[in-house]
Amino acid sequence: MKKIAVIFGVLLAAGPAIVAQIPSPGFGPGQAPGLGPLVNGTDFSGTWRPNQLVTDSQTAAGDLADFGGIPFTDAARLYALAWPASRQTVKQHQCMGYVTPYFWYAPGNYRIWEERDPFTQRLTAWRFFGQIAQGDRTVYMDGRPHPPAYAPHTFAGFSTGQYQGNVLTVTTTHLKRGWIKANGVPQSDAATVREHYIRHGDVVTVLAVIDDPVYLSEPLSKASMLVRQAKDPDAWLYACDDSEQIQGRKNDVVPSHLFGQNPYVREYADRRKVPLLAAMGGAETMYPELANKVSDAAAAEALVKTRMTPSGPAIASRAPDPMPNDGQIHTLHVAGSVYMLTGDGANIAVQVGPQGAFVVDTGAGKLSEKVIEAIGKLSSKPIQFIINTSFHPDHTGGNAKLQAVGADPSLTGSFFSLQFADAGQGATIIGHLNTQVRMQDHKLSPAPSDTFLEDRRRKYHNGEAVEIFPQRFAVTDGDSIVHFRRSDVIVTGDIFTTTQYPFIDVKNGGSLQGEIQSLNFVLDRTVYIHDEDGGTMIIPGHGRATDEWEVAEYRDMLVIIRDRIQSMIRSGATLQQVLTARPTADYDPRFGATSGAWTTDMFVEAVYTSLKNAPKIDAK
Amino acid sequence: MKRTLLLVALAASLFAGTLYAHHSFSATYDTSKTVMIEGKVTQFLLRNPHSFLHIAVTGKDGKEEAWNIEWAAAGQLGGAGVTRESLKVGDPVAITGNPARDPADQRLRMVTVKRTSDGFNWGFRQGQTVD
Repeated sequence: MKKIAVIFGVLLAAGPAIVAQIPSPGFGPGQAPGLGPLVNGTDFSGTWRPNQLVTDSQTAAGDLADFGGIPFTDAARLYALAWPASRQTVKQHQCMGYVTPYFWYAPGNYRIWEERDPFTQRLTAWRFFGQIAQGDRTVYMDGRPHPPAYAPHTFAGFSTGQYQGNVLTVTTTHLKRGWIKANGVPQSDAATVREHYIRHGDVVTVLAVIDDPVYLSEPLSKASMLVRQAKDPDAWLYACDDSEQIQGRKNDVVPSHLFGQNPYVREYADRRKVPLLAAMGGAETMYPELANKVSDAAAAEALVKTRMTPSGPAIASRAPDPMPNDGQIHTLHVAGSVYMLTGDGANIAVQVGPQGAFVVDTGAGKLSEKVIEAIGKLSSKPIQFIINTSFHPDHTGGNAKLQAVGADPSLTGSFFSLQFADAGQGATIIGHLNTQVRMQDHKLSPAPSDTFLEDRRRKYHNGEAVEIFPQRFAVTDGDSIVHFRRSDVIVTGDIFTTTQYPFIDVKNGGSLQGEIQSLNFVLDRTVYIHDEDGGTMIIPGHGRATDEWEVAEYRDMLVIIRDRIQSMIRSGATLQQVLTARPTADYDPRFGATSGAWTTDMFVEAVYTSLKNAPKIDAK
Repeated sequence: MKRTLLLVALAASLFAGTLYAHHSFSATYDTSKTVMIEGKVTQFLLRNPHSFLHIAVTGKDGKEEAWNIEWAAAGQLGGAGVTRESLKVGDPVAITGNPARDPADQRLRMVTVKRTSDGFNWGFRQGQTVD
C-alpha cells in the first residue's frame, strides 16, 4: 500500500511533465477525410474500481469547511460556506449528476470500452460508465469539433480525446455546474477539464486539470486511480429517482447559511488541529509560504475573518459569453420540431411543421432579414403565429418584419392571420394583455393583437399542443412562457437566462417574488431523462439552450439572495447598506455586471424594492 | 410531546471510518448523536439515492409532527429483504437515528427501525447501515 502511495505521489508531482515530454503522433499520416484521425494507443477497456487509498485522500464529499489546497476564489469560498448539506434534499438536487473529475471519485464500479467503426475498425470513441449516478461519458476520438457555446451543457460534458504517446488526453467542455468537493466547493459551468489517462498494468491513473475562470484562481490538479477488476462485477445500475424528502417544505425554500453565519466553519479545523486559514482554501493554501502566514495565530485569525464575508470591489462575470455576436443568426435544433435562433437580441424559438412556423419572440430587429432567412431554411411556409414573451424591445424588435412574412393569401378569411380585419396579410401576434398595453405605451409596433390575461392561451399547431402561460409580476407584469408539449420544449423569455441576473423591471410590474414563482412554474412542468440531464428542454431569453437543472440553480440563487437581502431589511438596512454588503458576491463571477444595461447593483436594487413593496404572491 | 427523545452517545466505532456514500453523511447529520422517535408510518419511498420513511409523531399537546427518515438505497434495502410492501401507512414504528444538523428539516439518518406490532426490524444486523 505504501508503495502505491509513493508511486501515486510521484505521478501526481511529475504527471504534467511526463505528459509534456511524450511526443504526440499527430493526425497527419493515416488521416482520411471524413473518417477522422487514425488513432492508436493504450487500451483502457475493462471494468475498474476506484482505489480506496486515493479516493479517501481526496474525499469526494469531504468534511464541512475543509477547503485546504483548493485554489478557489473568494467568491467560491463564500459559495461553499453558504452551502448546507440540507440543500441536497431540494428536489432538483437529489439526483444531481457528477461532472468530471468528481466522476472518478464516486464509489462503485466503472466500465471503459471502445467504439470502433465497423467498416474501418478505426477507434471512434471511448466510453466511460460509472455505476453511481450511472454517469455515461463519450470521448470522441474522430477529430470532431466541440459544439458551439450556445449548445446545452450536461454533467458528462462534451469530450474529445487524443493520444499523446501512450497517454490518452481528454478535453471536456460543456459541463454543468457541479462539485469539486461535495461539501459546497463548486466547479462552474464554464470549466474546462483536461484529463490524462495513464495505464500501468492493472492500474490507471487519471490526472485531471481543471481550469475554471469563474471559481478557480489557478488550475486545480486532481488525481484518481482505478484498479482493474479481474471479474466483471454484477452491480451496474443505480437509477436515481427524486422524492418528497422533506414533507411540507414550500417550493421557494432553498436551505443556505447567511454570509458569516455558517455554524460549522471551525469544525474541521478544530478537529484536525489545522489552522483555520489553511482550511479555508484559496491558492495560498497550496504553497509552503502559508506556514509564514499561520505562524502568527492572531494575525491569521484576523485575516481569515475577512474572508467569511464579501470584501473588495464588485466583480463582473468571468464566464465566456455563449453568444457568437458575429452579426450572423445561428440555428440550433433543440428538440422535436423546435429550434433556437440566436444572434439578434433575445433568443428566438421556432416550431416548424406543415402548418407553417410558430415563432416565439422576434429578436431586436437589427438582423431580421437574416432571421427570416434562417426560418425560411426550416420552413418554406409563411409564419403563422408570433408570441411575444415580453414587451421589451429585444424580444419584439423584429415583430414588423416577421409579421409581414406571415402573409398568406391562401388564408384570406381565416382567423389565422392578423385576426379577421387583415386576414392573410401577416402572422398573428399573440401576447399578454399587459404586453400589448406596454408596447402601445412605449410606442412599439406592431403589438400583439391577440391577447390573454389570466388564463393560458392554447393552440394545436404543427401536430402538437402549444400552451402559453401568463406570468404576472416576474420580469414585468405581462410575461409569458410557452410550452411546446410534444417537442417538450419550454421557452421562458427573460424569466430565465444563462447570462445575467434576471432583468426584474420593477417599474413595469416585475418583482423578485413573481420571478421565483415563475421559475417554480417552469420546474413544475419539466422532467429530466436521467440525473438532471435532458428531458424537457429550455430556451432561455438569453444564453444557451438548457434543461431543468440550470433553471433550478437559477431559482436557488434567487431564493438565497432573497433570503440575504430580506434578512438585512429586517435588520433595518438601507439600500446603500445592502449594496455595500454585496449579497450576490458568490454568484457575481458567473452572472454579475459592473457596467452595461443591467448591472448587479441594478438587480440588487430591484430585489430590495420588490421585498420592501412585496406583491401578494404565495409560494405553493 | 409524547415523542420519546433519547440522546444516546453511541460508540464511535459503530460509524468509524470514512463514510463512503452518495453524499457526506457527516456533513448532513450529527453522527455523534442518536435520538429515538416513535410514531406511525405516513409514507415509505423506496428510492435511489436513498429511501425515505416519513413518520407522524404525536406530541404531548396532541399535535402531529412529520419526521423525515433517510434510509438506505433501494438496492441495499432490497438485499436485506425490504420491499415496497414491508412497511405500510399506519404501521407503528420505533426508530433510532442521527439527527440532521439543520433542525428545521425534522430529519434523521436511520440507524434502526422496529415495527412494534410484530417485531419487523432493520439495522440490528451487520451491514444494515445507511451509507
